Amino acid sequence: MNTNLKISNVTKIYPGCVANDNVSLEFNSGKIYALLGENGAGKSTLVKILSGVIIPDEGKIYLNENNLKLNSPLDAKKNDIGMVFQHFNLFETLSVFENLIIDSDEQRESLREKIDTIMKKYNFSIDLDIPILNLSAGQKQKVEIIRCLIRNPKVLIMDEPTSVLTEQETSELFLSLKKFSEEGILIIYITHKLKEVMQLCDEVAVMRRGKLVSVSEIKNENIESLANKMVGQNLKTIKKKKAKTSSDQLIKITNLNFTSEDPFETNLMDINFSVNRGECLGIAGISGNGQSELFQVLSGEIISEKKSIEFNNNYIGDLNPQERREYLMAFSPEDRLEQAAIPQMKIFENVALNNFKSSNFFNNGLINENKIKDHSKKIISDFNVNTDNIELKSQFLSGGNLQKLIIGRELITSPDLLICFNPTWGLDVGAINYIHETLIRINEQNKSIILISTDTDELLKLSDKISVIHKGKLSKIMNAEEVTSEKLGILMGGAN
Amino acid sequence: MIKIVKRDQPSRAIFFFTPVLAIFLTLVAGGLIFFILGFKPFEALKFFFIVPIADKYGFSELLLKATPLCLIAIGLSFCFKSNNWNIGAEGQLTFGAIVSGGVALLFYEQEGFYILPIVILAGAIGGMLYASIPAILKTYFNTNEILVSLMLVYVSKLILDYLVVGPWSNPEGFNFPETRQFSDSAKLPLLFEGLRIHAGIFLALAAVVISWFVFYKTYLGFQMKVSGFSLKTAKYAGYKGKKMIVLVFLISGACAGLAGVGEITGPIGQLHREISPDYGFTAIIVAFLGRLHPVGIIFASLVVAITYLGAETAQIFMQIPKYTGQVFQGMILFFLLASDYLLFFKIKFIGSKK
Repeated sequence: MNTNLKISNVTKIYPGCVANDNVSLEFNSGKIYALLGENGAGKSTLVKILSGVIIPDEGKIYLNENNLKLNSPLDAKKNDIGMVFQHFNLFETLSVFENLIIDSDEQRESLREKIDTIMKKYNFSIDLDIPILNLSAGQKQKVEIIRCLIRNPKVLIMDEPTSVLTEQETSELFLSLKKFSEEGILIIYITHKLKEVMQLCDEVAVMRRGKLVSVSEIKNENIESLANKMVGQNLKTIKKKKAKTSSDQLIKITNLNFTSEDPFETNLMDINFSVNRGECLGIAGISGNGQSELFQVLSGEIISEKKSIEFNNNYIGDLNPQERREYLMAFSPEDRLEQAAIPQMKIFENVALNNFKSSNFFNNGLINENKIKDHSKKIISDFNVNTDNIELKSQFLSGGNLQKLIIGRELITSPDLLICFNPTWGLDVGAINYIHETLIRINEQNKSIILISTDTDELLKLSDKISVIHKGKLSKIMNAEEVTSEKLGILMGGAN
Repeated sequence: MIKIVKRDQPSRAIFFFTPVLAIFLTLVAGGLIFFILGFKPFEALKFFFIVPIADKYGFSELLLKATPLCLIAIGLSFCFKSNNWNIGAEGQLTFGAIVSGGVALLFYEQEGFYILPIVILAGAIGGMLYASIPAILKTYFNTNEILVSLMLVYVSKLILDYLVVGPWSNPEGFNFPETRQFSDSAKLPLLFEGLRIHAGIFLALAAVVISWFVFYKTYLGFQMKVSGFSLKTAKYAGYKGKKMIVLVFLISGACAGLAGVGEITGPIGQLHREISPDYGFTAIIVAFLGRLHPVGIIFASLVVAITYLGAETAQIFMQIPKYTGQVFQGMILFFLLASDYLLFFKIKFIGSKK
């Protein structure tokens, strides 16, 4: 039976932003549709409307000509719309089967049979009786997919499903999705990754700033044309010049270990690497493999053995972030809103978070507001932060501007080493370009970077050397020219 | 039709308006309770809130009650602003009173200008020592400071109990659970003849000024603010988190201890079982009603102090149990928390479409 899903004139307005502006779309089963757009383009809002999480201000949704009233996620389930979110909704300590039975009304035995049939059919192999926390991200996603399949959905929506997967897991996922599609399930695939759209989908709808920009068939598009539609302008491509090889060692990590008491953190095991002046070391990996712990150990939020980190011929393993800054290190954490900056505080107050002795922000324990403000004005103009009001609370800056402020705050003191963790996460293409240019520029000034990122393209673009972190262990360090994204994918999955 | 809309940002005006709204709602609800109990609501509220402070004596009593509340709430705001939940100020007050009372008893029947400062200092140190227990347990053993500080309240009350019936009880006191009266040199001077208001109020005012300066002008205040918003950011900025936790607890304990000193060397003049009508707990309400702002806390301590006086007047004139005062304190906190909803949401009245 054919499935036809129609979104008709949907509008959703949030204070200060129109998330969906009169969007109309039609989908038919048998095809895989891509919904493409940058972060903040309105994809997620549209998907949440389809899955009943958000109720639109205006507009209607029809499934096979029936007008659907989706007031809750339960309504979506009842109407055979299945959804796999970017972040898994699974109970880590319960077994796979327990997770699957939670929202099902079926008997245990019959459900088990049903799951077995589904797994056989699509070639999934997951032990149903082990706890979720022992599964890889790819397996967890399969559990989420099985959860949808149990209900025989007519529509399956996947929200940025590959952000936690390796290259190999991604191709497995694509095979499954194609199979579902052949069996008549309508698939809507949300992403901002152009390559995936080209690989997988039949039709693509592009959104920008809440509006539907275009609907077209993949065979009439290519990566550049989609990118331009997505961003709304022609992008210049950034290319890094080959760094002058320097043998002047700046930082050396020797036999660094970290054992966490928290079972949801990753232990770091025997980390060894060094970075020379003017070099960018990229550290790739699927999120949750110890990147956050590694960042904290390097920044001094987690203190390690004194001799495990040697920076500029000083042992600094036992120093806290503030003390490390005095040795000219700078840090840009992953979480802009909860760690790198405080949204409720003003711009100049956020600037004061990076506090050097020589910057004299605080004299004899007193705040020197004028000094901080002058410094903030300089950052804003030097790093193109789009505001001239340093008294503005930083929550009113867009993600891109906030990141520019943070990177600016860290770089204006011209540190010898910048350690950054997913610096362009969630930013629009314009801001990403700006950050990338900035990072390339500091390498050219003979300063070094450690770039921990889950974005493989970013790493390949910016790094001179690349290593992969997997379950708290670093792979050997490779020259960037020898590395391909396929090779990284294999290492990220834990193989050699 | 009424529609509730999320605010883009918490409004500054609303931030200071909600405490006023909470007080208003408390009065309305209080009136309603009086009405149900069979009293005339306006008359009862008058006995509760106006009669007690209508004369000079009443006003002095108001300041007398507001002084410890203000002092403790100022101390607590150091903790609360930096995400440390010290709710054991009552215990710190009691322990401060025990230490300073012990020192005052050492100087029994002695005179000298140096005695009072020593007694006051002893109280502050006592409060600090007692507050350091939850602080140190939190920083070095990851215990929960809410539980530890709360449970220590009862420990300190039992210590006080033991002392006043046992070793420190007045030898000429016919086994009453109380110590000897302190000598005049160990007592805070009265400000006016015939009124009980004493010099302790200057300690509270000094605390207000100092705290304002620390909160808004110093590096410590800045660090507290950052830690209050996000401990992760404080760690990233490299603030010495443990040192700060201990420091804010010490400040808080010192303030509570001083409040204890003010009580025993002021209106009470000795140690006995009931040195505080739960000032340490009520001050938590004061701190939040005053929005953790020094000036706000002054007003809040006055408002809450009235509930203590009003309860007594109402008991005398209307035979209502004095525990009604606690009902009012509870209602203020309740309505404050409820009206804080307005900080993040606004109510829109939408005309019905014709």
